[in-house]
Amino acid sequence: MLSQTVINRLKEIVGENNVVTDKTGLFSYSYDGTLLSGDALGVVSPQTTEQVVELVKYLNEQNIRLVPRGAGTNESGGSIPVENCVVMNFARMNQILEIDTENYVAVVQPGVINFDLQVELEKKGCYFPPDPSSYKASTLGGNVSECSGGPKCFKYGVTRDYILGLEFVLPNGKIINTGGRNFKSEPGYDLTRILCGSEGILGFITKIIVRVIPTPVTTRTMLATYNKVEDASQTVADIVAAGIVPTTLELMDNLLINTTEDFCHAGLARDAGAVLIIEIDGYPSDMDEQVKTIGEITKKADAREFRVAQSAAEVNQIWASRRCAFGSVARVRPSYGVNDITVPRSNFPKAIEGILKVAKEFGVTIGVVAHAGDGNLHPLILFDQRDAEEVKIVHAAEQALCKMALGLGGTISGEHGIGLVKKKYLDSEFQPVAMEAFRKIKRTFDPENRVNPGKIVEV
Amino acid sequence: MSNAIISKLKGIVGDPNVIDNPSEMAKYLKGTGKPAAVVLPGNASEVSGVVALANEENIKISVGGQVADTRDLGEGIVLIMARMNKIIEMDHQNLVAVVEPGMTHQEFIKQVEAAGLYFPPEPYAVDTSSIGGCFAIGDADSQTFKYGPTRTFLLGFEMVQPTGEIMEIGNKCIKNVSGLDFIHLAVGSKGTLGIFTKLLVKLLPMPAVKKAVVARFASLHMANATFNTIIKRNIQPDRINLISESLVKDVLPGQGHLALIDLKGFVQSSQNLANEIAAVFSLGGGTDVQIIDDDAAYENVINAWLKARQAVNHKPEQVIEFAVGPKKMPQALTQLEGIVGDLGACPGVVVEGLLGFARVLLPENADMTASAQKINKMAMSLGGNVTGLLGCQLKCEAYNDAEMWSATTEIINGLRHKFDPKGIINPGVSL
Repeated sequence: MLSQTVINRLKEIVGENNVVTDKTGLFSYSYDGTLLSGDALGVVSPQTTEQVVELVKYLNEQNIRLVPRGAGTNESGGSIPVENCVVMNFARMNQILEIDTENYVAVVQPGVINFDLQVELEKKGCYFPPDPSSYKASTLGGNVSECSGGPKCFKYGVTRDYILGLEFVLPNGKIINTGGRNFKSEPGYDLTRILCGSEGILGFITKIIVRVIPTPVTTRTMLATYNKVEDASQTVADIVAAGIVPTTLELMDNLLINTTEDFCHAGLARDAGAVLIIEIDGYPSDMDEQVKTIGEITKKADAREFRVAQSAAEVNQIWASRRCAFGSVARVRPSYGVNDITVPRSNFPKAIEGILKVAKEFGVTIGVVAHAGDGNLHPLILFDQRDAEEVKIVHAAEQALCKMALGLGGTISGEHGIGLVKKKYLDSEFQPVAMEAFRKIKRTFDPENRVNPGKIVEV
Repeated sequence: MSNAIISKLKGIVGDPNVIDNPSEMAKYLKGTGKPAAVVLPGNASEVSGVVALANEENIKISVGGQVADTRDLGEGIVLIMARMNKIIEMDHQNLVAVVEPGMTHQEFIKQVEAAGLYFPPEPYAVDTSSIGGCFAIGDADSQTFKYGPTRTFLLGFEMVQPTGEIMEIGNKCIKNVSGLDFIHLAVGSKGTLGIFTKLLVKLLPMPAVKKAVVARFASLHMANATFNTIIKRNIQPDRINLISESLVKDVLPGQGHLALIDLKGFVQSSQNLANEIAAVFSLGGGTDVQIIDDDAAYENVINAWLKARQAVNHKPEQVIEFAVGPKKMPQALTQLEGIVGDLGACPGVVVEGLLGFARVLLPENADMTASAQKINKMAMSLGGNVTGLLGCQLKCEAYNDAEMWSATTEIINGLRHKFDPKGIINPGVSL
């Protein structure tokens, strides 16, 4: 528990209403997108960089640890409170400071919701490509910290590729600026890059300079329906071989088709083995030829239906299923475990096979949503977290999935991060010398291990 | 250096691969230093052996693909990666290649294109750059707007750490957030975090067509004004470059400053855009406006750009680079003229239009520090800055923020020291 002196000082820094210490209030900050939870001593919500600095310096003096938090939507346990910590909640630092589309730059505070930035950019004919499925809730600070992906990565890359610079408060309370408003990797080392995806273990992002790009002139959205998942993965391979770079190649299997249909009635065929959402963008004169090629490829792969969306409403209808995929499975079982394994694209069919095998071997229900172009799969294991025996089986199945992905030359995390959930598997992906490199980086930024300790790697 | 150490080096890489005769060493050296030996390793374990020995004996190492800098090296070792120059794998399905660092950048591009694939980053110095150096420098080049900076193309590597251990990291997945992103921190670290011995490189499908639109302009300002028109018309080509006559005259004959726009993509849209750009050039006062479709002519003009880029990159001590964003470049060039005098008479100016970068080559006797301060002040007034660590320092000075500067250097030097506690690798590199 925090002493009254500490509470008073925190209130002095951020204001009376921006310090939470009561049990009910703290509960909202005790969990994230995983099943884990933890109890913080308090939650503070600063509004300026100066307040962040003061909080860091004061809590260092008090020997209290800090855990940064955005909207808490992460799937890795990265924002779960640790022992003897205060949560630094960035929700109030939610101002878009500048949008300069002529120079392709926007400057935001870390608590800005991804979607809110998109809305403002759209008015000016621009957008910010990384849009993880959580984009209506997740913050940009969180997106940077997790290096979020989303459905457009095959063509446009991940969050890392759109962060030009950061203002960053180090664990000792000092401020640094990394990068700038251009592509140069300053200063000396590309510190922006090591901060991207660092899951809040190196300090606090207080300002983000993002790259924005003009909205594509044309987009075409297509939906292909297959009897078998294998045929969908063949389509993905053939599209890439044809030299086409779609923005999106999203796959859902039969289980997800049915759960999303129950939820949003988008009109997908309930008996289909898989659907593939394919989207391309670019100049109008380049569209027809690509759509034709893609149509032929799906036909060759025995697609039972290939549809090109003819209206914005149809596009939304196609995307509605995908956007609600994770939540929709809750109708089947009360809990689900999201996995984030990624394999080289050529091994995608083998990964699908591997998932089916794991499901059978452990007797668990697994639905698959995948960013197929990226080889990034989200097998959702459905279960009931109140059943301790089942939870054990689910954990074993998750471990088997990670092992399978690594065996196929892949990674245990494509876009969700390591946090607490995957920490135990990290050394099966990385050599000891690489694990030591991570520790060296953490120790350089945070020699006293004060910020978000115990996440990603133990030091 | 003692004979005992030379023979240990020979034991590691083989007799013919250790050169300690000054006249034979010369072709591998840049700068005036006199290292004790040039060593040409053949694989990662040999590199590791040399680095481990250097740590034991406290000898410094300078690394390069074809040539290496001898600054602050003393009687150290020059490690030349030129023998490690093979493509180990070309994977069409996953659009990746595995390549050794000593292959020249141009040779890599050639082989990738022969395989029907595409690698966008440009060589830093077209005649000598190696692919390892490409990632060690980690530049943002003219094509960055469309394809991303160099780092975008590195998915993983094998590296010998400054303490000698071999590390393999990364995989063929284009999405990978596992662990901390050491992979991309290493890009641009100029060898100080380790020596690449194998690179896992991301590639793209080959675009259907390559085209260039070129024009000559009597004034840099006029040329740059057309760039703003192009951007305003919502055209984002692969590159928009402006090269001053002084830099281009030896590599591509013609009168005036060269504006060069590069288009890669689909047949129809590329043709439409090329016509539109050519019209903008003509209306904006360009002469000799040409749309270049022919492969050989295209290669020729791109090569001229690469030679000009090399000429600038070879004189880092005379170059000041700043970034202000594309839209503010016309203002910046006008104000720059107030600082350095007539831009047309300047030894060299390069503008990367889409990115809003400019590089100015100043006369040999120019006061670089004073110019950099003035140019930074100008750039800051337009929302930009002089790039690199120098820019960071100047910004901190301008804000009178010594604490930020010390916090920044503490992190950078701290990282370097953690990875290279004895300061063995590339002592001449100041980050």
